[in-house]
Amino acid sequence: MRIEKCYFCSKSVYPGHGSAFVRNDAKVFRFCTSKCHKNFKMKRNPRKVRWTKAFRKAAGKEMTIDSTIEFEKRRNVPVRYDRELVQTTVKAMKRIAEIKQRREHAFWKNRMAASREKLRAHRKKTVEKTTVRLVEPMAVESMEERVREKIKVHAKSRSALIPGEGRSMGMDID
Amino acid sequence: MIGLKGTLNIIDNSGALLVECVNVLKQKVNNGWGSVGDEIVCVIKKARPITGAASNAIKVRRGDVRRAVIVRTRKPVRRPDGRFVRFDDNAAVLLNNKREMLGTRIGGVVSADLRMKGWGKIVSLAPKVL
Repeated sequence: MRIEKCYFCSKSVYPGHGSAFVRNDAKVFRFCTSKCHKNFKMKRNPRKVRWTKAFRKAAGKEMTIDSTIEFEKRRNVPVRYDRELVQTTVKAMKRIAEIKQRREHAFWKNRMAASREKLRAHRKKTVEKTTVRLVEPMAVESMEERVREKIKVHAKSRSALIPGEGRSMGMDID
Repeated sequence: MIGLKGTLNIIDNSGALLVECVNVLKQKVNNGWGSVGDEIVCVIKKARPITGAASNAIKVRRGDVRRAVIVRTRKPVRRPDGRFVRFDDNAAVLLNNKREMLGTRIGGVVSADLRMKGWGKIVSLAPKVL
């Protein structure tokens, strides 16, 4: 049993999961989920679909050259079981994962630092383009007061629903 | 999912190219649908033309009714480990009355399920088993 990689999204396909498509020239395409399978059937290129690993690597969004990635490889020579080796491997896996995570974080921070400037420039440009004028809060308040003075309430506007002196809503029985 | 009127490619050198299924031989649970490793009765719809030199290699002609075994299906087949495998097309290999292969060679991929179903001879002849 081996853990294969999905043809479309490059996720791991564990035994008992996913499906495979065998082309007539005996090339095997493995898929982790029906989603990836469907995308393949739609003839989409994984390098052009934004959520795949292939796209992220091609677009420089993930580390491509790193010594921590080199550990995960397809090896066609089976290794004889050795208790010592397994122990050290398990230990190393944890440590490598730690290092990898840290490196990935550093890579991400670096990438974001570059893109933040780009985003700022973009925002500035859009602000210049838009013609919406913002009024200062003080000016708004004074305008409101002026409006308030103008409103006059008519004294006569008494609701007929409210029973006043001598006039009741109820029917007169007399 | 091979049933009545289903067409299959023939991937051996018996001379047939395309066959049409007319019956799926009963197994315990195939419910009338043939899958990889199932035997079918088929009519040869298209065969290689018989010429003088190569006539000894060609054993069938158009309109013959023969038995065949399905070796690839478009419908995904479940493997014992839970994976599903599907192929590009439906394909079969022709058989004689003794359930032996009519041809002597196989050109193309066959499903690994065949060995499980007792068609080890076909698997050993195939250039690629997946």
